[in-house]
Amino acid sequence: MLEKKICMLGTLAVGKTSLVRRFIEGIYSEGYHTSIGVKVDKKPVREAGQEVKLVLWDIFGEDRFQKVQPSYWRGMFGYLLVVDGTRRNTLDEALGLHQRVLDTGIKVPAILLVNKADLANQWEIGDDRLTQLAQSGWEIMRTSAKTGENVDAAFSRLTLKMLGK
Amino acid sequence: MAAKSIFESFLAAQGYALFEYKGSGVFHPIGEYPKWCQNLWKGALGRDRSIRLSEASPLLENFLIDAEGFWNSNREGSANSPVWIEREPSGREVQLEAAALHVDGKNVLLIRNLASTYAERQKLYQAARDSLLEHERLLREIQKKEILLHCIIHDLSQPLTAMRGCFNLMSLQDLSAELRRMVETGERESNRQEQMIRGILQAFSADLAGQQTASESAPSDADISAAAQRAVQEFSPAFAEKQIKLQLDPVVDLSRDWIIAGDDSRLDRIFGNLLENALRYSPPNTTVTIGLEEKGKQVLASVDDQGPGLPKDQSRDQMFALFAKGKDKPGKAGLGLYFCKITVERWGGTIGAETRTKGGTRLWFRLPHAAKSTRDGARKEPSRGQGVPGAVQQSSTAVTRPRLDKPGRSLRILVAEDTVENRELVSELLKKRGHLVAGVSDGRQALDELEKNHYDVVLMDEQMPKMDGLEATRAIRQKEKSSGKHQLIVALTGNVTEEDKQQRIAAGMDGFVPKPFEMHTLFDTIEFLAAGAQVIPASPMPAPPAAAKGRSAEPATPAQSPASVPIEDVEAHLLRTTGGNEKLAKSLTKSFLADAPKRLAAIRAALAAKNAAKLDITAHALKGSVAIFGSQAAVAAAKNLEAMGRNRDLSGADAQFHALEAAMKQLQAELLAVAPQDKTKTIPRTKTKPPTSRKGSKK
Repeated sequence: MLEKKICMLGTLAVGKTSLVRRFIEGIYSEGYHTSIGVKVDKKPVREAGQEVKLVLWDIFGEDRFQKVQPSYWRGMFGYLLVVDGTRRNTLDEALGLHQRVLDTGIKVPAILLVNKADLANQWEIGDDRLTQLAQSGWEIMRTSAKTGENVDAAFSRLTLKMLGK
Repeated sequence: MAAKSIFESFLAAQGYALFEYKGSGVFHPIGEYPKWCQNLWKGALGRDRSIRLSEASPLLENFLIDAEGFWNSNREGSANSPVWIEREPSGREVQLEAAALHVDGKNVLLIRNLASTYAERQKLYQAARDSLLEHERLLREIQKKEILLHCIIHDLSQPLTAMRGCFNLMSLQDLSAELRRMVETGERESNRQEQMIRGILQAFSADLAGQQTASESAPSDADISAAAQRAVQEFSPAFAEKQIKLQLDPVVDLSRDWIIAGDDSRLDRIFGNLLENALRYSPPNTTVTIGLEEKGKQVLASVDDQGPGLPKDQSRDQMFALFAKGKDKPGKAGLGLYFCKITVERWGGTIGAETRTKGGTRLWFRLPHAAKSTRDGARKEPSRGQGVPGAVQQSSTAVTRPRLDKPGRSLRILVAEDTVENRELVSELLKKRGHLVAGVSDGRQALDELEKNHYDVVLMDEQMPKMDGLEATRAIRQKEKSSGKHQLIVALTGNVTEEDKQQRIAAGMDGFVPKPFEMHTLFDTIEFLAAGAQVIPASPMPAPPAAAKGRSAEPATPAQSPASVPIEDVEAHLLRTTGGNEKLAKSLTKSFLADAPKRLAAIRAALAAKNAAKLDITAHALKGSVAIFGSQAAVAAAKNLEAMGRNRDLSGADAQFHALEAAMKQLQAELLAVAPQDKTKTIPRTKTKPPTSRKGSKK
């Protein structure tokens, strides 16, 4: 079976781990439980008639205590760049992380997930900004790890992109 | 052997597993396998106790690439993995970290089970990140409250427009003493309410308060060198605490003229914000220098630090944006540099940042020198409206100006405003002032009305149904391309941001009166712009030459000798124009006497070069300034020359110029005679009711 490494990238508390847990286990825990380090999970999926084992690297949100090393991205086939719609600065930091990935010469499919769609009334990231990003080439999905909105769809879409579909 | 055994036992007790790398992905344990290791990687264990760790864990597979790189090098120390989490078959999570080392010539991999310390580390990280998130949340809350506060303030301020207007109207009536006292109380209390609103802003909104007041109050003038010295004095202790030297560049010549258009308090905040930024990014034992340089008509102020320079991925727009914060050493709320930007730009300046070639960052701003007349509390002359952004700036910034107690003439004014109350209020004020006023309720109606009737000024609301003020203005300007006329258009608007101003300039508006408006601001703006564009007294006037076709709506008639036009008593006229303000009158006279020879010389040069376009501009400029002194002869001659220039027909221009020179000579002589005297006489203030006004007339 094909194995495809996917990295979850984004700053602190945007919901990377929650998205993975929702996708792998179908559950969501209230409250913020900070991640230390990297956690790898696997999940087989079937997309476009093809069996693929997704190897999900849930990488901690970078801050002054933990710095993300480029070696973590080694061998990845795609990544989900996660931002918290209720915190404008998470988008700037995510785009900075994306630039660092590009700077290492890695060019693989990526999707921008604007998470916490269940709190859309509190979003600080406006439609104008997202439209601008979409026009610059970003594929953007609004997700909610809490409600499950678009979570499976996001992994499915990235898998298809990694398969070149 | 026994010692080794104790050492291995010690490591095992601490949760360590040691492996020697044998090459080709194979590892041999040093000592016994710890139990956790067997639980996790049972499937990867070989019969000969070897283990292929790259097959045991995706993260180890990744890390071993770095580890092999380390083992193949002569580097000292170790290569370290991140913390990672594995799951035992039972589902229990195990937290690990690994290090590659050289030990006694062997390539050793050390894997540590963090069970004993992970919980504590998790707790610490959680607390730190919770605090960080809470800090971010509080900042966002503060920002939201700031914005909410401004919205509330805006709503509270709005009714003041109508209240003040009503009191202004009432004050123009013949009131009994008792009623006048009540009106005065109303005026006083509405002013007090405004002060209280501003007070709330100052108290509860540290940075954005400046933004609000900057839009309302006018820049006067400020000594930027004094502000720089105050900044050095005020901030030196904070810099010294971090072993950073703060200085004013020694090459700055403090004896020079460093007066700019701005005000002290906001200038202090600009320097303060820039210095706070420099302090944040400057390493110890470096110097931060404030510099000042003359750049033509502007002053360039700079704050240079010796820090790391600007991040490569940060644009100027991002840096000065609202709520923008630096990545490595963010400030408070992301408002400081935004405040600097809006303030500097509102004063007609620019601001920026760059990485210095010698290293470090330069934050800089440029501000125009204050005009001499502005420093003395007066504007030298009204500027020409058409296509000149300055006209918009002048009225929008409400530079201190002489207030006219009586309009130079009765103007025909079209008020385009969709709100009935506002339209009636403005119309009534203008009628009381002695102007002829008609009202329409949208831009389309304004265009139709202008087709039918001549108006000196259109007072244009921006937001109206059917056709808004900007669209109507654009349509008027488009039409003027073929007619050559110029309709004065003044916006009446609550939109006072820089962006709004640029939109108005782009549309072709000549000026604007901000809401809530002051009665005198309304009068001054309209009348000054009207005076600048066409200073024609209501009495019989000198006419342009037969060939002249210009913006003026008056029919072209044969040229009249300027000498035949009587000259009004210059002293009386000037005092009347300045509302009896002798200081202002003196200042205007001084500026005029200094500038008049240059203006005349410019006209002479244009004529000598037969440059009609230049003649148009230079004659127009002189016409505006002599009008302030009521010299009708000079106005008439300048007006004729202007028309000749505009129509590219210079026949008879020399004669007009001689007439102008004669009139100017006479005016200068009169001014010199009265200027040195220290007058105490003021003219009586009279109620304004020009004979041409049609009281209550309405269209």
